[in-house]
Amino acid sequence: MSEVRLEGVTKRYTPAASAAVDDVSLTLTDGGFAVLLGPTGAGKTTTLRLVAGLEKADSGRIFIDDRDVTQEAPSTRDVTFVFQQYSLYPHLTVYDNLAFPLRSPARRQSKSEVEKRVTRVAEMLRIPHKLKNKATQLSGGEMQRVAIGRALVRSPSVYLMDEPLSSLDAKLRAELRLELKRIQHDLGATILYVTHDQVEAMTMASRIGVLSEGKLVQFGTPRQIYEDPDSIYVAERLGTPQINLLPVDLLPSGAILPGTARIGARTEHLRIEADGSGVEGRVVRIEHLGDQSHLHLEVAGHALTALADAHTPLAEGAAIRLTLSEPLCFGSDGRRLRA
Amino acid sequence: MTTPSTLDKVADRAARATPDSVARRIGGLSDKAVAWLFIAPTITLLLAINIFPLIWTVYLSFTNYKANRSARGFQWIGTRNYERVLNDSDIWHTLQVTAHFVVWTMSIQVILGFGLAWLLNRQFKGHSFWTTLILLPMMLSPAVVGNFWTFLYQPQIGLFNYVIGFFAGIDASSFEMLGSVTLAPWAIVIVDTWMWTPYLMLICLAGLRSIPDYIYEAAEVDRASAWRQFWSITVPMVLPFLMLAVLFRAIENFKMFDLVVELTSGGPGSVTELASINLKREAFEKWRTGYSSAFAIILFVTVFGAANIYVKALNRVKQR
Ligand SMILES: Nc1ncnc2c1ncn2[C@@H]1O[C@H](COP(=O)(O)OP(=O)(O)O)[C@@H](O)[C@H]1O
Ligand SMILES: [Mg+2]
Repeated sequence: MSEVRLEGVTKRYTPAASAAVDDVSLTLTDGGFAVLLGPTGAGKTTTLRLVAGLEKADSGRIFIDDRDVTQEAPSTRDVTFVFQQYSLYPHLTVYDNLAFPLRSPARRQSKSEVEKRVTRVAEMLRIPHKLKNKATQLSGGEMQRVAIGRALVRSPSVYLMDEPLSSLDAKLRAELRLELKRIQHDLGATILYVTHDQVEAMTMASRIGVLSEGKLVQFGTPRQIYEDPDSIYVAERLGTPQINLLPVDLLPSGAILPGTARIGARTEHLRIEADGSGVEGRVVRIEHLGDQSHLHLEVAGHALTALADAHTPLAEGAAIRLTLSEPLCFGSDGRRLRA
Repeated sequence: MTTPSTLDKVADRAARATPDSVARRIGGLSDKAVAWLFIAPTITLLLAINIFPLIWTVYLSFTNYKANRSARGFQWIGTRNYERVLNDSDIWHTLQVTAHFVVWTMSIQVILGFGLAWLLNRQFKGHSFWTTLILLPMMLSPAVVGNFWTFLYQPQIGLFNYVIGFFAGIDASSFEMLGSVTLAPWAIVIVDTWMWTPYLMLICLAGLRSIPDYIYEAAEVDRASAWRQFWSITVPMVLPFLMLAVLFRAIENFKMFDLVVELTSGGPGSVTELASINLKREAFEKWRTGYSSAFAIILFVTVFGAANIYVKALNRVKQR
């Protein structure tokens, strides 16, 4: 449907404050699904609000479908927004909450059309039995589903979603993840999405943007962000267990680039053997996660975490040997060094 | 109303909240007895100055008792007082005057109060100064307000007459707000509005402030126009607050006495003689105690009934 493009967008809430969004440029192609990652306060919500028009950019320009919308009001931008706090209309029923966006005079729809759409969305989100409830008589998860539903009843140019699945239980979250992905696929919807959840980011995104203190530090496919991060900061955002950061000389590896200050070793870069040529280490603790296990290792006074399968023969306290293959190299400023 | 069962419940709850040691220190008394001991003074006062007079009034309304001739004794005369009250054209006139007063003060104050609150809610520079200023009339004593409005309404020196005369281009001393049969009912509406609009404004302001910004943001994204946001968000969300304020104010104005006595004493003639002014005349000038008791009971039942219906409507609005 639509392409979203940000060009050097900067936003400060007060002139004295540091920029909440700092010179961000990105292009989300038509039908793309971009996920913004970053710790709290990185500027994810602000970025969405800028695209929605709920905040005005101090500088830079925002395009939706090649139309410069930088100065436009939210109502003319043709976007929907799933807010981080559910932001339902508390005095209306679930049905009326879902029907609200459809009843805009600008796009009058017949009563039966409204009802059809509301019912379909309610079924998709498994809340048809709650349609008559007041919005305040819902659990947190139900409120969030209504909030998502309110975005889905319309077919806007761009869907903006701010941590929409965060307060749902694991099962429903997995279902809705698939559902959203399906909707995006079926409708060819363009979605800009904020999450803390790595699985959501990895499975749903066609692009991931990593924000740090308002700056977009890397924007690329999930694969690029995971396998080819530009910095330690980006590398730390994805991967469970988190990437291990090691001194250069801790473990021998053939492919260390000159100038390397720290080595980033993901679990797949580590090879654990009972004996052999590697550096000697010890299993400190094993966390059984059901389908797999986290191994907490100690090598020459450094803690590492690695992944093993559920029925690993290793026991706590066992001696192991560790080798490294093709790890990531980072300079002293935390930037990635590439060959 | 407080029934014995709710009292029991209160006593029970108090007893449960009391530490064991307290009961033990007051030898021989059960926790519940101690709890009763604590609420007894309040209940005694309530019975003495609220419940007993009410019941006594009901009793007197069925007699021909006259308070200034109490030595003469009195007889039970059944419902004759009630029949007389309901057939008295003066009473009906007085109720009409009251209805005019209540309906107009409430309508004007709702519109003005909401309007002012809406303006003040825009958070412009100095809005808290204006809020305080607007609240001032409400904080004055009705006797003071009545007194200085009689000056403002003076045909020769009154500011009100001067301003109206100036803007309407008529002679300021050509009309008398408090002395004219047609103007006096409006004169009291104006003063009450001046004094109590701030109250409605304050409660509307609380209502407006209770609407979180994000609801308007959601509506904005949902492409609701300013007009639609006003009617489908602002109004329904402030309505419960507004209705509560109107309930309080309408009951107050149904009983209005002091301000209007100070302004017109019910005159000229009886065009501003509100129910409570009439009642005071009947009870303490004509000393028709039984008759006025009957009238008082009728008023009480009317207000009580109307308030109950209103509260039901209010709850429906809140549940919507
Ligand atoms: N309404 C606001 N007024 C002032 N500062 C704000 C406001 N909203 C967010 N900020 C600041 O902007 C920065 C980015 O916030 P936000 O976009 O909400 O981050 P995120 O959603 O990534 O957690 C934070 O430093 C935050 O304190
Ligand atoms: Mg946020």
